[in-house]
Amino acid sequence: MLECPPESNAVPVPRLTEVKSVSPSAVEEQLVELFDEVRVPLLRYLSAFPLTMSDSEDIVQEAFLSLFQQLQRGKTPQNLRGWLFRAAHNLALKRRIRYRKDPENTGSFTEAEALMIDPGLNPEDQLAFNQTQRRLMAVVRALPEPHRWCLNLRAEGLRYREIAEMVGMSLGAVALSLERSLALIARAVQR
Amino acid sequence: MVMSQEFHLSDRELLMSADGELSTREAERVDSHLAACWACRTRKQQIESAIGEFIRFQRDSFDKLVPPSEGPRALLRAQLGRIAESERLSGPGWLRFISRRFAWTAVVAGLLLAGGAAIGSHILLARYATRTVVVTIPNPNYTPGATVLFSQREVCTQARVKNKAVSVDLQRRVFDEYGIRSAKPSAYEVDYLITPALGGADDIHNLWPQSNRATIWNAHVKDALEDHLRDLVCDGQLDLPTAQREIAGNWIEAYKKYFHTDRPLTSSH
Repeated sequence: MLECPPESNAVPVPRLTEVKSVSPSAVEEQLVELFDEVRVPLLRYLSAFPLTMSDSEDIVQEAFLSLFQQLQRGKTPQNLRGWLFRAAHNLALKRRIRYRKDPENTGSFTEAEALMIDPGLNPEDQLAFNQTQRRLMAVVRALPEPHRWCLNLRAEGLRYREIAEMVGMSLGAVALSLERSLALIARAVQR
Repeated sequence: MVMSQEFHLSDRELLMSADGELSTREAERVDSHLAACWACRTRKQQIESAIGEFIRFQRDSFDKLVPPSEGPRALLRAQLGRIAESERLSGPGWLRFISRRFAWTAVVAGLLLAGGAAIGSHILLARYATRTVVVTIPNPNYTPGATVLFSQREVCTQARVKNKAVSVDLQRRVFDEYGIRSAKPSAYEVDYLITPALGGADDIHNLWPQSNRATIWNAHVKDALEDHLRDLVCDGQLDLPTAQREIAGNWIEAYKKYFHTDRPLTSSH
């Protein structure tokens, strides 16, 4: 059974506003707890960028350090999860510009392809599974980058409004992007 | 069923309905249509199924790549601790409050003073141009450490090679980051925080300007620690993420811990 990503508006974990007046170490502990919960979703989202896992890990760390500095300045974002995704998005854009990598040369996809064979499946199932997975990977890889952002952000539970603000699109454009991406995915699976 | 023959919902309406993104009125309209239209219900299921396939694909293909969280968590904890410590050292709360409150005044005063200071600094610049700041511990904001996805086995099977030379451009970027612009090039060595022999990455986040003027905790001492940690990893006494974390956190503390000493051993010099 698939784990359901929480809606970003309703994340129950971070209650950092409540610990603002408590010791700094309590804030640090809360942030580490939040890190445990959000690290993998953030890394999954960052797979939409042409970054290696090591780059993505750095970005997640940087996003959390920025959040910590915000909190130390007495600024508590209302939606911490959304704030972290936005910070990670901006940091990823900056890093991509800095590295000037080819946007089609997606590091995370290359890494994923190398690990695609699941030894737990029998050879026949493995073949069928891999064919579907490879088709899906090809589809996702061929999507324009903003479409990948929308798809990954929605998969992590962000609402259309949040996605639109983060990636600089209209609500309609986000809906259209998701509609097209899912249509391609549906076609790839049915083939 | 008459209604379903007259019109069908668009894919976008179906998707937004599945995502709970329709207004109450629109949602009611879509729901009542779906209750009557098998074709639209089937298409909605196809959309849900495509979402399911994407999620499964993402989890199956990507989540396997994610390294365990212990190392990154410890690194974050160390960096948070260091930032909090530097905040505490930067002055008491009331001082920070005053400095925030009078920040604009300070900016204006600063601008006025800047003109005068520029003249003075011009005279002094030549004198201090070659002054070297002794850096023994990297700044975690600039150099938190970065690793490549190597397993313990991969690290230990590769020959113990010398660190790859850092390109001049990358060295310049490291110096810029640390605000070192006027020191003699020979005063520093741009070094890997996590050595490549322990899976350290060839990345600016893993490079720092190690001062050659450091007399006690110098590059030779760090090299000794790197060798020792690698030996421990390859002997199975220490796992790789822990070794990477220890050296990235505070290499001097790591040295003290793993060599059981407060000062570098003489053989490290």
